[in-house]
Amino acid sequence: MSDANLDNIDLNNFTRPMVVAVRVSKVYIPDIVALKDVSLTVNKGEMVFLTGMSGAGKTTMLKLICAIEKPTKGLIEVAEQDLTKISQTGLQQLRQKIGVAYQDFKLLPKLTVFENIAMPMEIIYQNSVTIHNRVDELLEILGIPDKKNIPIGKLSRGEQQRVAIARAAANAPPLLLADEPTGNLDADSTERVMDLFHHLHGAGTTLIIATHDESIIQRDLHRILDLKQGELILNSDPRDNLANYRQGI
Amino acid sequence: MGHMAAIFNQTGRNLKQTWGTQIMTLFTVSLSVLIFSFFFLVYLNIMRGGEKLQDDLRIIVYLDNEIVPAMQAQMEKKIREFTTVEKVVYISKDQAFKRLEGQLGADRDVLAGLGSDFLPPSIEVYPQKNLSSLTQIKELSEYLATLPGTSKVQYGQSWLERFGYFTKLLRLIVLSSGGLLILTTTFIVSYTIRLTVAARHDELEALRLLGAHSFYIQGPLILEGLLQGLLGSLFGLILLYSLYQWITTRFSGPGFLNFLDFTFFSPLISVLILLTGTLLCVGGSLLSIRKALRI
Repeated sequence: MSDANLDNIDLNNFTRPMVVAVRVSKVYIPDIVALKDVSLTVNKGEMVFLTGMSGAGKTTMLKLICAIEKPTKGLIEVAEQDLTKISQTGLQQLRQKIGVAYQDFKLLPKLTVFENIAMPMEIIYQNSVTIHNRVDELLEILGIPDKKNIPIGKLSRGEQQRVAIARAAANAPPLLLADEPTGNLDADSTERVMDLFHHLHGAGTTLIIATHDESIIQRDLHRILDLKQGELILNSDPRDNLANYRQGI
Repeated sequence: MGHMAAIFNQTGRNLKQTWGTQIMTLFTVSLSVLIFSFFFLVYLNIMRGGEKLQDDLRIIVYLDNEIVPAMQAQMEKKIREFTTVEKVVYISKDQAFKRLEGQLGADRDVLAGLGSDFLPPSIEVYPQKNLSSLTQIKELSEYLATLPGTSKVQYGQSWLERFGYFTKLLRLIVLSSGGLLILTTTFIVSYTIRLTVAARHDELEALRLLGAHSFYIQGPLILEGLLQGLLGSLFGLILLYSLYQWITTRFSGPGFLNFLDFTFFSPLISVLILLTGTLLCVGGSLLSIRKALRI
């Protein structure tokens, strides 16, 4: 491992990392380099922004963390489990603990808002009352309580995005990945989504938010991991993230 | 939510989404079970009828002359060595005459002046009352014809042959319809589950991304196959029972069915048909799941 890459690993908190990536590369066929030698750590309970222009590798990084994709090279560990060697059962158990709000939502258009948000809770066999209460709570926080029984296909993009976030947050997972969570939202909805993220963060959830929405980065003092053409070019200190972010860009 | 409640919930959702295909599948399974069980029922009743008919079945070996008891015992020994028979009875000329008199009853006068020794002595061989013995009667009669002192061997040859051919044909039909049942139920259910999997492709992908256990994904599809098999077989049997009731009501009184003493399946056979139909559908379901989900 080169010194430059080692610098990207937060050694002070290395004892309890939620996500560790060591010299991770991802090359898509035929030779599209999505990530190149990226090393980073995200500690338990931390909230970080993964930033960068379109095509910088943010989505790929998130896909590697939730094991939708495998790295071409390098090591990825989530909750101390090596994702390149994880068993099918181990992967299923891990995925139950990761909430993911996908950029393309991956919602089921024929099912209602309730049914979509309930899915991760049904998978872990939560009881019906808990599921209903949690769905109501999330819809209230996100400002769409009246949409509970409406099929996803009849919602606007912004509303669908909030449902995707609600589904990711449903089980209050230890790790939440959000890919451009405010991309289709107005200011008020963005505020609601960020409030939910802060609430989860306060409760101990580790959050990795891939975004290029400067408004949400500016308001928070959280670490920024900035990607450019597949390389990690900035791993900022939370205290001066905005200044670094602006310089990095 | 409990494990099974979640599985039932998912299954209900699947059935709601693909109800049209489900009804077609149910219909096909019912029809297959109906066809198979109809022929099976006819076959069982014919076989049972055949067993009843055998009560009167015997082979009569007419002899040239009366034989002494030692010779009778020797012939019986030879017959029993050749095959297992129920009983062997020697009928002397005198006994044959008395039997004929008894049969003629009031008309016995026609025998006046004929003398009591004009009928030939015979040995009556009563074969075992099982179906396999029916097919062996021909062989036995051929053997009996070779015994010394035998003048003629008689039995219901043409009737037995026709009955034998008929049971063979029925057996073939039962086997074919059984094969048809296996093919249609397995194929149709497997095809339906594949359609369900295709219709729910996005949902199954979402479930996998959310970390659903294999059982959570496969369980509802297996349950779907199980329900199709159970309900399809049940409807098939109910249809057959209705048909049976209709036929026995319509054709009651002296006739073919009474002659056969036509009865429905015993509870055990009904349960076995239900179980077989259900297991075949679950098999078809598993086959499809493994292919479609590549698990």
